Amino acid sequence: MITTTGLTKRFQQNEVLTNIDLHVDAKDIVVLLGPSGSGKSTLLRCLNGLEELSGGQIEVNGIVVNSADPLRVQRARVLEIRRQTGMVFQQFNLYPHKTVLGNVMEGLVTVKKIKRDEAAERGRILLDRVGLSDKQDAYPSRLSGGQQQRVAIARALAMEPEVMLFDEPTSALDPELVGEVLSVMKELAEEGMTMLVVTHELKFARNVANKIVFMADGSIVEEASPQAFFEHPTQERTRRFLQQITEF
Amino acid sequence: MELVFENIPFFLKGAYYTLYVTVISMFFAFIIGLLVAIARLKGPMWLRLIARFYVSIMRGTPLLVQLFVIYYGLVDYGVTLGSLTAACLGLSLNAGAFLSETFRGAIQAVPKGQMEAAYATGMTPAQAMRRIIFPQAVRIAIPPMGNTFIGMLKETSLVAAIGVTELLRSAQLLVSQYAVNMPFYLAIGVIYWIMSIGFSAILEQVERRLARAY
Repeated sequence: MITTTGLTKRFQQNEVLTNIDLHVDAKDIVVLLGPSGSGKSTLLRCLNGLEELSGGQIEVNGIVVNSADPLRVQRARVLEIRRQTGMVFQQFNLYPHKTVLGNVMEGLVTVKKIKRDEAAERGRILLDRVGLSDKQDAYPSRLSGGQQQRVAIARALAMEPEVMLFDEPTSALDPELVGEVLSVMKELAEEGMTMLVVTHELKFARNVANKIVFMADGSIVEEASPQAFFEHPTQERTRRFLQQITEF
Repeated sequence: MELVFENIPFFLKGAYYTLYVTVISMFFAFIIGLLVAIARLKGPMWLRLIARFYVSIMRGTPLLVQLFVIYYGLVDYGVTLGSLTAACLGLSLNAGAFLSETFRGAIQAVPKGQMEAAYATGMTPAQAMRRIIFPQAVRIAIPPMGNTFIGMLKETSLVAAIGVTELLRSAQLLVSQYAVNMPFYLAIGVIYWIMSIGFSAILEQVERRLARAY
Protein backbone atom coordinates (compact mmCIF):
# COMPACT_ATOMS: atom_id res chain seq x y z
CA MET A 1 0.00 0.00 0.00
CA ILE A 2 2.80 2.38 0.96
CA THR A 3 6.44 1.93 0.06
CA THR A 4 9.20 4.46 0.42
CA THR A 5 12.59 3.84 -1.10
CA GLY A 6 15.60 5.84 -0.04
CA LEU A 7 13.36 8.72 0.99
CA THR A 8 15.43 11.71 2.03
CA LYS A 9 14.26 15.13 3.15
CA ARG A 10 16.38 18.19 3.78
CA PHE A 11 15.40 21.64 4.99
CA GLN A 12 18.21 23.77 3.62
CA GLN A 13 21.37 22.11 5.00
CA ASN A 14 19.53 20.21 7.67
CA GLU A 15 18.79 16.59 6.80
CA VAL A 16 15.67 15.51 8.68
CA LEU A 17 15.03 12.20 6.92
CA THR A 18 17.81 9.95 5.72
CA ASN A 19 17.24 7.03 3.38
CA ILE A 20 13.91 5.91 4.73
CA ASP A 21 12.73 2.51 3.49
CA LEU A 22 9.29 1.95 4.88
CA HIS A 23 6.68 -0.57 3.87
CA VAL A 24 3.04 -0.59 4.89
CA ASP A 25 0.64 -3.28 3.70
CA ALA A 26 -3.07 -2.83 3.17
CA LYS A 27 -4.93 -2.98 6.52
CA ASP A 28 -1.75 -2.45 8.47
CA ILE A 29 -1.95 -0.25 11.53
CA VAL A 30 1.52 1.23 11.79
CA VAL A 31 2.48 3.46 14.70
CA LEU A 32 5.50 5.71 14.29
CA LEU A 33 7.26 6.33 17.57
CA GLY A 34 10.34 8.34 18.37
CA PRO A 35 11.67 11.35 20.21
CA SER A 36 10.64 14.77 19.00
CA GLY A 37 12.67 15.94 16.05
CA SER A 38 13.18 12.38 14.86
CA GLY A 39 11.34 13.06 11.59
CA LYS A 40 8.11 11.13 12.16
CA SER A 41 5.80 13.98 11.21
CA THR A 42 7.97 14.96 8.27
CA LEU A 43 7.83 11.38 6.99
CA LEU A 44 4.05 11.43 7.21
CA ARG A 45 3.90 14.79 5.42
CA CYS A 46 6.15 13.55 2.65
CA LEU A 47 3.71 10.71 2.03
CA ASN A 48 0.95 13.04 0.87
CA GLY A 49 3.14 15.71 -0.61
CA LEU A 50 2.86 18.36 2.06
CA GLU A 51 6.64 18.30 1.93
CA GLU A 52 8.56 17.99 -1.32
CA LEU A 53 10.99 15.08 -1.50
CA SER A 54 14.70 15.86 -1.50
CA GLY A 55 15.63 12.37 -2.63
CA GLY A 56 14.23 8.88 -3.14
CA GLN A 57 10.76 7.73 -4.02
CA ILE A 58 7.38 7.11 -2.47
CA GLU A 59 4.63 4.85 -3.69
CA VAL A 60 1.13 5.08 -2.31
CA ASN A 61 -1.54 2.75 -3.61
CA GLY A 62 0.35 2.25 -6.86
CA ILE A 63 1.04 5.94 -7.50
CA VAL A 64 4.75 6.67 -7.65
CA VAL A 65 6.41 9.99 -6.91
CA ASN A 66 10.13 10.10 -7.51
CA SER A 67 12.22 13.09 -6.49
CA ALA A 68 13.95 12.87 -9.88
CA ASP A 69 10.68 13.41 -11.77
CA PRO A 70 10.00 16.91 -13.09
CA LEU A 71 8.21 19.02 -10.49
CA ARG A 72 5.12 19.21 -12.68
CA VAL A 73 4.83 15.42 -12.82
CA GLN A 74 5.41 15.14 -9.09
CA ARG A 75 2.65 17.66 -8.38
CA ALA A 76 0.14 15.81 -10.53
CA ARG A 77 0.94 12.51 -8.84
CA VAL A 78 0.85 14.06 -5.40
CA LEU A 79 -2.65 15.33 -6.14
CA GLU A 80 -3.70 11.78 -7.03
CA ILE A 81 -2.17 10.45 -3.83
CA ARG A 82 -3.92 13.07 -1.75
CA ARG A 83 -7.24 12.04 -3.24
CA GLN A 84 -6.67 8.52 -1.95
CA THR A 85 -5.33 9.39 1.48
CA GLY A 86 -6.89 11.14 4.42
CA MET A 87 -4.90 13.20 6.87
CA VAL A 88 -5.63 14.22 10.44
CA PHE A 89 -3.54 17.00 11.93
CA GLN A 90 -2.36 17.76 15.43
CA GLN A 91 -4.07 21.17 15.32
CA PHE A 92 -7.26 19.78 13.67
CA ASN A 93 -7.20 22.51 11.00
CA LEU A 94 -10.96 22.58 10.62
CA TYR A 95 -12.29 25.31 8.36
CA PRO A 96 -13.49 27.95 10.85
CA HIS A 97 -15.84 29.60 8.36
CA LYS A 98 -17.82 26.44 7.73
CA THR A 99 -20.16 24.48 9.95
CA VAL A 100 -19.29 21.01 11.14
CA LEU A 101 -21.32 19.50 8.33
CA GLY A 102 -19.84 22.03 5.91
CA ASN A 103 -16.36 20.89 6.87
CA VAL A 104 -17.19 17.27 6.17
CA MET A 105 -18.98 18.07 2.88
CA GLU A 106 -16.36 20.44 1.50
CA GLY A 107 -14.13 17.88 -0.18
CA LEU A 108 -17.09 15.97 -1.56
CA VAL A 109 -18.53 19.07 -3.18
CA THR A 110 -15.32 20.76 -4.33
CA VAL A 111 -13.10 17.82 -5.21
CA LYS A 112 -15.51 14.99 -5.97
CA LYS A 113 -18.18 17.28 -7.49
CA ILE A 114 -20.97 15.52 -5.65
CA LYS A 115 -24.32 17.36 -5.39
CA ARG A 116 -24.82 19.27 -2.19
CA ASP A 117 -27.76 17.31 -0.83
CA GLU A 118 -26.11 14.00 -1.49
CA ALA A 119 -22.89 15.26 0.10
CA ALA A 120 -24.87 16.44 3.12
CA GLU A 121 -26.47 13.02 3.38
CA ARG A 122 -23.07 11.32 3.37
CA GLY A 123 -21.70 13.91 5.76
CA ARG A 124 -24.43 13.19 8.28
CA ILE A 125 -23.70 9.46 8.15
CA LEU A 126 -20.04 10.16 8.89
CA LEU A 127 -20.82 12.56 11.71
CA ASP A 128 -23.05 9.91 13.18
CA ARG A 129 -20.17 7.48 12.97
CA VAL A 130 -17.92 9.75 15.05
CA GLY A 131 -20.79 10.49 17.42
CA LEU A 132 -21.40 14.12 16.48
CA SER A 133 -24.59 14.16 14.47
CA ASP A 134 -26.13 16.63 16.94
CA LYS A 135 -23.36 19.16 16.19
CA GLN A 136 -23.73 19.36 12.43
CA ASP A 137 -24.79 23.01 12.37
CA ALA A 138 -22.30 24.24 14.95
CA TYR A 139 -19.14 26.10 13.98
CA PRO A 140 -15.82 24.50 14.95
CA SER A 141 -15.02 27.23 17.48
CA ARG A 142 -17.97 26.01 19.59
CA LEU A 143 -16.57 22.49 19.87
CA SER A 144 -14.14 20.96 22.34
CA GLY A 145 -10.78 19.83 21.03
CA GLY A 146 -11.84 16.20 21.09
CA GLN A 147 -14.99 16.98 19.14
CA GLN A 148 -13.03 19.04 16.63
CA GLN A 149 -10.63 16.21 16.05
CA ARG A 150 -13.48 13.77 15.51
CA VAL A 151 -14.94 16.15 12.93
CA ALA A 152 -11.52 16.25 11.28
CA ILE A 153 -11.53 12.45 11.12
CA ALA A 154 -15.00 12.46 9.59
CA ARG A 155 -13.85 15.08 7.09
CA ALA A 156 -10.94 12.87 6.03
CA LEU A 157 -13.12 9.74 5.86
CA ALA A 158 -15.65 11.50 3.65
CA MET A 159 -13.20 11.28 0.76
CA GLU A 160 -13.21 7.46 1.13
CA PRO A 161 -9.44 7.22 1.44
CA GLU A 162 -7.46 4.03 1.05
CA VAL A 163 -5.04 5.14 3.74
CA MET A 164 -5.40 7.38 6.77
CA LEU A 165 -2.45 9.39 8.06
CA PHE A 166 -2.63 10.65 11.64
CA ASP A 167 -0.11 13.30 12.68
CA GLU A 168 -0.12 13.37 16.48
CA PRO A 169 -3.91 13.51 16.57
CA THR A 170 -4.20 13.68 20.36
CA SER A 171 -1.15 15.79 21.25
CA ALA A 172 -3.08 19.07 21.36
CA LEU A 173 -5.91 17.65 23.48
CA ASP A 174 -6.62 17.89 27.18
CA PRO A 175 -5.97 14.48 28.74
CA GLU A 176 -9.63 13.72 29.38
CA LEU A 177 -10.46 14.24 25.70
CA VAL A 178 -7.82 11.90 24.31
CA GLY A 179 -9.90 8.77 24.83
CA GLU A 180 -12.81 9.80 22.60
CA VAL A 181 -10.48 10.38 19.67
CA LEU A 182 -8.51 7.19 20.20
CA SER A 183 -11.68 5.13 20.39
CA VAL A 184 -12.83 6.48 17.03
CA MET A 185 -9.42 5.57 15.62
CA LYS A 186 -9.61 2.12 17.15
CA GLU A 187 -12.99 1.48 15.55
CA LEU A 188 -11.56 2.58 12.25
CA ALA A 189 -8.69 0.14 12.65
CA GLU A 190 -11.10 -2.66 13.44
CA GLU A 191 -13.00 -1.91 10.24
CA GLY A 192 -9.84 -2.66 8.29
CA MET A 193 -8.60 0.84 7.41
CA THR A 194 -4.91 1.12 6.57
CA MET A 195 -3.48 3.57 9.07
CA LEU A 196 -0.19 5.27 9.70
CA VAL A 197 -0.16 7.01 13.05
CA VAL A 198 2.38 9.31 14.64
CA THR A 199 1.57 9.38 18.32
CA HIS A 200 2.92 9.31 21.83
CA GLU A 201 0.04 7.17 23.10
CA LEU A 202 1.86 3.99 24.01
CA LYS A 203 -1.27 2.14 25.05
CA PHE A 204 -2.77 2.75 21.64
CA ALA A 205 0.47 1.63 20.01
CA ARG A 206 0.54 -1.56 22.05
CA ASN A 207 -3.12 -2.48 21.71
CA VAL A 208 -4.13 -1.31 18.26
CA ALA A 209 -1.02 -1.32 16.07
CA ASN A 210 0.26 -4.42 14.34
CA LYS A 211 3.61 -2.81 13.63
CA ILE A 212 5.73 -0.25 15.43
CA VAL A 213 8.30 1.77 13.56
CA PHE A 214 10.77 3.50 15.83
CA MET A 215 12.62 6.50 14.43
CA ALA A 216 15.48 8.60 15.75
CA ASP A 217 17.54 11.32 14.09
CA GLY A 218 15.84 10.95 10.74
CA SER A 219 16.30 7.21 10.37
CA ILE A 220 14.30 4.11 11.11
CA VAL A 221 16.01 2.42 14.03
CA GLU A 222 13.74 -0.53 14.61
CA GLU A 223 10.61 -2.12 13.20
CA ALA A 224 8.76 -4.74 15.15
CA SER A 225 5.42 -6.06 16.31
CA PRO A 226 4.16 -4.17 19.38
CA GLN A 227 4.88 -7.09 21.65
CA ALA A 228 8.43 -7.53 20.43
CA PHE A 229 9.01 -3.80 20.42
CA PHE A 230 7.92 -3.15 23.98
CA GLU A 231 9.20 -6.37 25.53
CA HIS A 232 12.33 -7.25 23.58
CA PRO A 233 13.67 -4.17 21.81
CA THR A 234 16.80 -5.14 19.93
CA GLN A 235 18.38 -1.72 19.59
CA GLU A 236 20.12 0.23 22.33
CA ARG A 237 18.53 3.47 21.08
CA THR A 238 15.06 1.94 21.42
CA ARG A 239 15.74 0.75 24.94
CA ARG A 240 16.89 4.18 25.96
CA PHE A 241 13.75 5.77 24.48
CA LEU A 242 11.43 3.30 26.18
CA GLN A 243 13.21 3.84 29.47
CA GLN A 244 12.83 7.59 29.19
CA ILE A 245 9.13 7.55 28.45
CA THR A 246 8.20 4.93 31.03
CA GLU A 247 10.26 6.35 33.86
CA PHE A 248 7.38 7.96 35.71
CA MET B 1 -27.37 79.46 4.05
CA GLU B 2 -30.25 79.97 1.62
CA LEU B 3 -27.70 79.84 -1.14
CA VAL B 4 -26.85 76.31 -0.12
CA PHE B 5 -30.47 75.19 0.01
CA GLU B 6 -31.23 76.83 -3.31
CA ASN B 7 -28.46 74.86 -4.90
CA ILE B 8 -29.16 71.49 -3.34
CA PRO B 9 -29.98 69.83 -6.67
CA PHE B 10 -26.59 70.98 -7.92
CA PHE B 11 -24.86 69.50 -4.87
CA LEU B 12 -26.77 66.28 -5.25
CA LYS B 13 -25.53 66.00 -8.78
CA GLY B 14 -21.99 66.52 -7.54
CA ALA B 15 -22.52 63.94 -4.81
CA TYR B 16 -23.83 61.56 -7.42
CA TYR B 17 -20.61 61.82 -9.40
CA THR B 18 -18.52 61.47 -6.28
CA LEU B 19 -20.38 58.30 -5.41
CA TYR B 20 -20.30 57.09 -8.98
CA VAL B 21 -16.52 57.45 -9.24
CA THR B 22 -16.05 55.90 -5.79
CA VAL B 23 -18.21 52.85 -6.39
CA ILE B 24 -16.89 52.11 -9.87
CA SER B 25 -13.32 52.52 -8.70
CA MET B 26 -13.96 50.41 -5.60
CA PHE B 27 -15.19 47.60 -7.77
CA PHE B 28 -12.20 47.62 -10.10
CA ALA B 29 -9.73 48.33 -7.31
CA PHE B 30 -11.03 45.24 -5.53
CA ILE B 31 -10.41 43.06 -8.57
CA ILE B 32 -7.02 44.62 -9.31
CA GLY B 33 -6.01 44.30 -5.66
CA LEU B 34 -6.95 40.64 -5.57
CA LEU B 35 -5.15 39.78 -8.80
CA VAL B 36 -2.02 41.69 -7.82
CA ALA B 37 -1.98 40.08 -4.37
CA ILE B 38 -2.20 36.61 -5.93
CA ALA B 39 0.45 37.51 -8.50
CA ARG B 40 2.78 38.62 -5.74
CA LEU B 41 2.20 35.53 -3.63
CA LYS B 42 1.85 32.75 -6.18
CA GLY B 43 3.00 34.06 -9.51
CA PRO B 44 6.22 33.24 -11.36
CA MET B 45 9.19 35.43 -10.58
CA TRP B 46 8.77 37.86 -13.51
CA LEU B 47 5.11 38.45 -12.64
CA ARG B 48 5.99 39.06 -9.00
CA LEU B 49 8.51 41.66 -10.04
CA ILE B 50 6.05 43.44 -12.30
CA ALA B 51 3.41 43.40 -9.56
CA ARG B 52 5.88 44.75 -7.03
CA PHE B 53 6.95 47.49 -9.40
CA TYR B 54 3.35 48.48 -10.01
CA VAL B 55 2.58 48.68 -6.29
CA SER B 56 5.73 50.63 -5.66
CA ILE B 57 4.91 53.23 -8.33
CA MET B 58 1.30 53.64 -7.31
CA ARG B 59 2.16 54.05 -3.66
CA GLY B 60 5.18 56.18 -4.27
CA THR B 61 3.65 58.90 -6.44
CA PRO B 62 0.81 61.34 -5.70
CA LEU B 63 -2.62 60.40 -6.98
CA LEU B 64 -2.90 63.83 -8.55
CA VAL B 65 0.20 63.17 -10.65
CA GLN B 66 -1.21 59.80 -11.70
CA LEU B 67 -4.46 61.43 -12.76
CA PHE B 68 -2.61 64.07 -14.79
CA VAL B 69 -0.50 61.41 -16.48
CA ILE B 70 -3.59 59.45 -17.45
CA TYR B 71 -5.80 62.39 -18.46
CA TYR B 72 -3.34 64.90 -19.94
CA GLY B 73 -0.19 62.84 -20.49
CA LEU B 74 -1.74 60.11 -22.60
CA VAL B 75 -3.11 62.70 -25.02
CA ASP B 76 0.44 63.14 -26.31
CA TYR B 77 0.28 59.54 -27.49
CA GLY B 78 -3.10 59.91 -29.09
CA VAL B 79 -5.05 58.40 -26.21
CA THR B 80 -7.83 60.76 -25.21
CA LEU B 81 -9.96 59.62 -22.31
CA GLY B 82 -13.11 61.29 -21.02
CA SER B 83 -12.52 62.93 -17.66
CA LEU B 84 -14.87 60.51 -15.91
CA THR B 85 -13.15 57.49 -17.46
CA ALA B 86 -9.73 58.84 -16.60
CA ALA B 87 -10.85 59.51 -13.04
CA CYS B 88 -12.15 55.97 -12.56
CA LEU B 89 -9.09 54.46 -14.19
CA GLY B 90 -6.69 56.48 -12.04
CA LEU B 91 -8.48 55.80 -8.80
CA SER B 92 -8.89 52.09 -9.57
CA LEU B 93 -5.20 51.67 -10.33
CA ASN B 94 -4.20 53.66 -7.29
CA ALA B 95 -6.51 52.02 -4.76
CA GLY B 96 -5.87 48.62 -6.34
CA ALA B 97 -2.22 48.90 -5.37
CA PHE B 98 -3.09 49.74 -1.78
CA LEU B 99 -5.69 47.00 -1.59
CA SER B 100 -3.27 44.44 -2.98
CA GLU B 101 -1.10 45.01 0.08
CA THR B 102 -4.10 44.58 2.33
CA PHE B 103 -5.10 41.36 0.60
CA ARG B 104 -1.58 40.02 0.58
CA GLY B 105 -1.34 40.51 4.31
CA ALA B 106 -4.76 38.97 4.86
CA ILE B 107 -3.99 35.90 2.78
CA GLN B 108 -0.75 35.40 4.66
CA ALA B 109 -2.58 35.80 7.95
CA VAL B 110 -4.69 32.70 7.32
CA PRO B 111 -2.97 29.89 9.25
CA LYS B 112 -0.81 27.58 7.15
CA GLY B 113 -2.73 24.57 8.40
CA GLN B 114 -5.81 25.70 6.45
CA MET B 115 -4.03 25.36 3.13
CA GLU B 116 -2.60 22.01 4.22
CA ALA B 117 -5.99 20.70 5.26
CA ALA B 118 -7.42 21.74 1.91
CA TYR B 119 -4.53 20.12 0.05
CA ALA B 120 -4.87 16.96 2.12
CA THR B 121 -8.45 16.51 0.90
CA GLY B 122 -7.15 16.66 -2.66
CA MET B 123 -7.97 20.24 -3.60
CA THR B 124 -5.89 21.96 -6.26
CA PRO B 125 -4.14 25.18 -5.21
CA ALA B 126 -6.83 27.18 -7.01
CA GLN B 127 -9.66 25.33 -5.29
CA ALA B 128 -8.01 25.72 -1.90
CA MET B 129 -7.58 29.44 -2.49
CA ARG B 130 -11.13 29.96 -3.62
CA ARG B 131 -12.94 27.77 -1.12
CA ILE B 132 -10.78 27.94 2.00
CA ILE B 133 -8.28 30.79 1.99
CA PHE B 134 -10.23 33.68 0.40
CA PRO B 135 -13.32 33.44 2.56
CA GLN B 136 -11.12 33.68 5.63
CA ALA B 137 -8.80 36.33 4.18
CA VAL B 138 -11.74 38.57 3.27
CA ARG B 139 -12.86 38.64 6.90
CA ILE B 140 -9.38 39.70 7.94
CA ALA B 141 -9.21 42.29 5.17
CA ILE B 142 -12.53 44.01 5.79
CA PRO B 143 -11.50 46.59 8.41
CA PRO B 144 -8.42 47.83 6.48
CA MET B 145 -10.37 47.58 3.23
CA GLY B 146 -13.01 49.83 4.77
CA ASN B 147 -10.34 52.39 5.56
CA THR B 148 -9.14 52.35 1.97
CA PHE B 149 -12.68 52.80 0.63
CA ILE B 150 -13.47 55.69 2.92
CA GLY B 151 -10.14 57.21 2.01
CA MET B 152 -11.10 56.83 -1.63
CA LEU B 153 -14.41 58.57 -1.14
CA LYS B 154 -12.51 61.63 0.01
CA GLU B 155 -9.71 61.34 -2.54
CA THR B 156 -12.25 61.56 -5.34
CA SER B 157 -12.12 65.31 -4.64
CA LEU B 158 -8.82 65.26 -6.54
CA VAL B 159 -10.55 64.31 -9.77
CA ALA B 160 -12.04 67.82 -9.79
CA ALA B 161 -8.63 68.78 -11.13
CA ILE B 162 -9.26 66.87 -14.35
CA GLY B 163 -12.67 68.36 -14.81
CA VAL B 164 -15.10 65.90 -13.27
CA THR B 165 -17.92 67.89 -11.71
CA GLU B 166 -18.07 65.96 -8.49
CA LEU B 167 -18.73 67.51 -5.11
CA LEU B 168 -15.65 69.67 -4.77
CA ARG B 169 -15.94 71.08 -8.26
CA SER B 170 -19.65 71.75 -7.75
CA ALA B 171 -18.71 73.86 -4.76
CA GLN B 172 -15.95 75.62 -6.69
CA LEU B 173 -18.37 76.48 -9.47
CA LEU B 174 -20.90 77.88 -7.00
CA VAL B 175 -18.20 79.84 -5.23
CA SER B 176 -17.19 81.55 -8.43
CA GLN B 177 -20.82 82.20 -9.31
CA TYR B 178 -21.87 83.77 -5.98
CA ALA B 179 -18.48 85.04 -4.74
CA VAL B 180 -18.94 83.55 -1.25
CA ASN B 181 -16.83 80.68 0.03
CA MET B 182 -17.75 79.33 3.41
CA PRO B 183 -21.31 78.03 3.00
CA PHE B 184 -20.50 75.98 -0.06
CA TYR B 185 -17.33 74.42 1.27
CA LEU B 186 -18.99 73.68 4.60
CA ALA B 187 -21.92 72.17 2.77
CA ILE B 188 -19.80 69.73 0.80
CA GLY B 189 -17.84 68.94 3.96
CA VAL B 190 -21.10 67.87 5.55
CA ILE B 191 -22.07 65.85 2.49
CA TYR B 192 -18.72 64.01 2.46
CA TRP B 193 -19.11 63.32 6.13
CA ILE B 194 -22.61 61.91 5.72
CA MET B 195 -21.44 59.68 2.88
CA SER B 196 -18.50 58.42 4.97
CA ILE B 197 -20.85 57.55 7.79
CA GLY B 198 -23.02 55.69 5.32
CA PHE B 199 -20.06 53.67 4.06
CA SER B 200 -18.91 52.86 7.57
CA ALA B 201 -22.37 51.65 8.48
CA ILE B 202 -22.49 49.37 5.45
CA LEU B 203 -19.05 47.94 6.23
CA GLU B 204 -20.02 47.37 9.82
CA GLN B 205 -23.05 45.43 8.65
CA VAL B 206 -20.94 43.27 6.37
CA GLU B 207 -18.43 42.65 9.11
CA ARG B 208 -21.12 41.66 11.57
CA ARG B 209 -22.72 39.28 9.10
CA LEU B 210 -19.41 37.57 8.35
CA ALA B 211 -18.46 37.38 12.01
CA ARG B 212 -21.60 35.40 12.73
CA ALA B 213 -20.09 32.43 10.97
CA TYR B 214 -17.34 31.89 13.51
